Amino acid sequence: MYSRDYRDIVGGALLTLSGLAFAFYAIARYDLGALRRMGPGMFPVGLGFVLALLGALLLIGALRRRGPRSEIRIWTPFFVLAGVAGFALMIRPFGLIPAIVVLTIVSSLAELKFRPASTLILTVALCLVAWLTFKVGLGLPMQMFRWPF
Amino acid sequence: MDILSNVALGFATALTATNLFYCFIGVSLGMVVGVIPGIGTLATMSMLFPLTFILDPTTALIMLAGIWYGTGYGGRTASILLNIPGTVANAVTCLDGYPMTKQGRGGVALFMTTVASFVGGSIGIVLLMLFAPVIASYALNFSSAEYFSLMALGLVAASTISEGSAVKGLAMVVLGIMFGMVGTDVYTGTTRFSFGRLELYDSISLVALAMGIFGVSEVIASVRKVDVGDIRATSVKLSAMKPTRDDVRRSWMPMLRGSSIGAFFGTLPGTGPSVASFLSYAMEKRVAREPQRFGKGAIEGIMAPESADNSAEMTSFIPTLSLGIPGSATMALMLGVLMIHGVAPGPSLMTDQPELFWGLIMSFWIGNVILVILNVPLIGVWIRLLTIPYHLLYPAVLMFICIGTYSISSSPFDIWIVVFFGFLGYLMRIFDWPAAPVLLGFVLGPMMEEHFRRAMLLSRGDFATFVNRPISATVIAITVAVLAWGIYSSMKERRTAGLDATDGE
Repeated sequence: MYSRDYRDIVGGALLTLSGLAFAFYAIARYDLGALRRMGPGMFPVGLGFVLALLGALLLIGALRRRGPRSEIRIWTPFFVLAGVAGFALMIRPFGLIPAIVVLTIVSSLAELKFRPASTLILTVALCLVAWLTFKVGLGLPMQMFRWPF
Repeated sequence: MDILSNVALGFATALTATNLFYCFIGVSLGMVVGVIPGIGTLATMSMLFPLTFILDPTTALIMLAGIWYGTGYGGRTASILLNIPGTVANAVTCLDGYPMTKQGRGGVALFMTTVASFVGGSIGIVLLMLFAPVIASYALNFSSAEYFSLMALGLVAASTISEGSAVKGLAMVVLGIMFGMVGTDVYTGTTRFSFGRLELYDSISLVALAMGIFGVSEVIASVRKVDVGDIRATSVKLSAMKPTRDDVRRSWMPMLRGSSIGAFFGTLPGTGPSVASFLSYAMEKRVAREPQRFGKGAIEGIMAPESADNSAEMTSFIPTLSLGIPGSATMALMLGVLMIHGVAPGPSLMTDQPELFWGLIMSFWIGNVILVILNVPLIGVWIRLLTIPYHLLYPAVLMFICIGTYSISSSPFDIWIVVFFGFLGYLMRIFDWPAAPVLLGFVLGPMMEEHFRRAMLLSRGDFATFVNRPISATVIAITVAVLAWGIYSSMKERRTAGLDATDGE
């Protein structure tokens, strides 16, 4: 436990800032119009200020109470997201199978344990499953392999 | 008379080979997913979402709906046998279900709750058949002011009632609406918040958003957290499934009470199955002659919540199908399917697309029957499923997420959107912000803006239009009451309990 609810203080501040940024971006870029004929900017500006207000409420409420200690993990989310990002990078130039290989190997590291044998088997199995379901079964127009150079 | 011909039409639609097949796929998958903790209903539905593009809308809805109510059947298997709730709505079943397993009555519990689920589901379907058309015909006269008020009520109720903090829930709804603003403005054609990316001119892909915020962030939260269940398959003897006469006698009333509570809360936005099952358990405990039996394997304690759960799952379709206003994130996804297929959700759905509406409802009967047939003999398989280690499961989940997202428009950009929302989803878990309201806001946001602007245009910029029209005024009054109650109770809760620990679904 913290002596203050830092989780909600930081969260509330983030929400307020995002709300204000959203509202001012809308004011700067889009036509507000009038109440009887609203432009594209009016609704977003309203939303931004409402979010900022809610964030402020959250922050103020959190100042006066004790709060829990959030568990923040860095490497597990990193490897999961990096695996997905790897898929996004590989799929266009190299095709589906290399993308799955990268995704499986990178995201397996999120366990923070390296198991070469089981990862290898899993990778092969998943490539097979993907090929059977998406290419053979559903007939999606996806290239399995590609070579961009 | 009229309803009979509709029922016939519905069965004719639901019983075609394709629809039967996808109904079967949906309910079986739902059951599997319900059994396995660490994969949620929403994540599965979003994973299968891309598959629905190649299906026609009726079939697509039949399958997705099957996943939704299938998890209800699967979820309590894990609750009863392992004391692990497969889904949030089944958590309360652990209280009396697991003690029954320890007494060697796990088989009876599973069998009886299958009956409860079926009865609850059936009552829900009957109410859906009776009330949805009535509400829809009434709603045909609604104008933009009413629609805006109803959507506001839906969003406020969904964000303040079911989750912990009302302020956080509301903030997440607003955040969701903001993501909905990205893309081309319907009235002026201005592109908003696209940051010059051509891919964002249309709007953020619903699938990518759902996959990131529910799928990827759930994987992140479960890796290194979900362990293989400690299971002894011998604890359930299939031969011991026959309930005693006493069990049957005790089960009738809880089942009926549970179904009615479920039916009521299912129709309300924001409450749904979880609230219904908890409330019905509380009610059984209150009306019981010997409340001390609860928590020690009282059959009433599993029958009421399970029937409430399934009945609520069915009646939550009432607002979604008759008004086009989803009360939960799951229903928002269903609406998303309709909109992607170019079917306008709303009160005219029933008259424009009778075979879709009635076909879907009749498929619920078929799905429920399939679930009853599948559930009991396959208990052994469900138990074995729980022994798949999560470290083999999650890369597969991620793969389906990636391929599913990519297959929609063959755009790597959509996968980057998944990464973005996966990260956001993880942040939201750290800050204890509920995820479901974001999706609800995202789907409803653009519609809400459209109706708001149209209502203001018609009233020449006068806000009074929302309170001058009687229906709209009533809805606004209820919204304000819900809002006040939500904020009051979350403040009271904080003062007494200090902290709230809830997880979204």
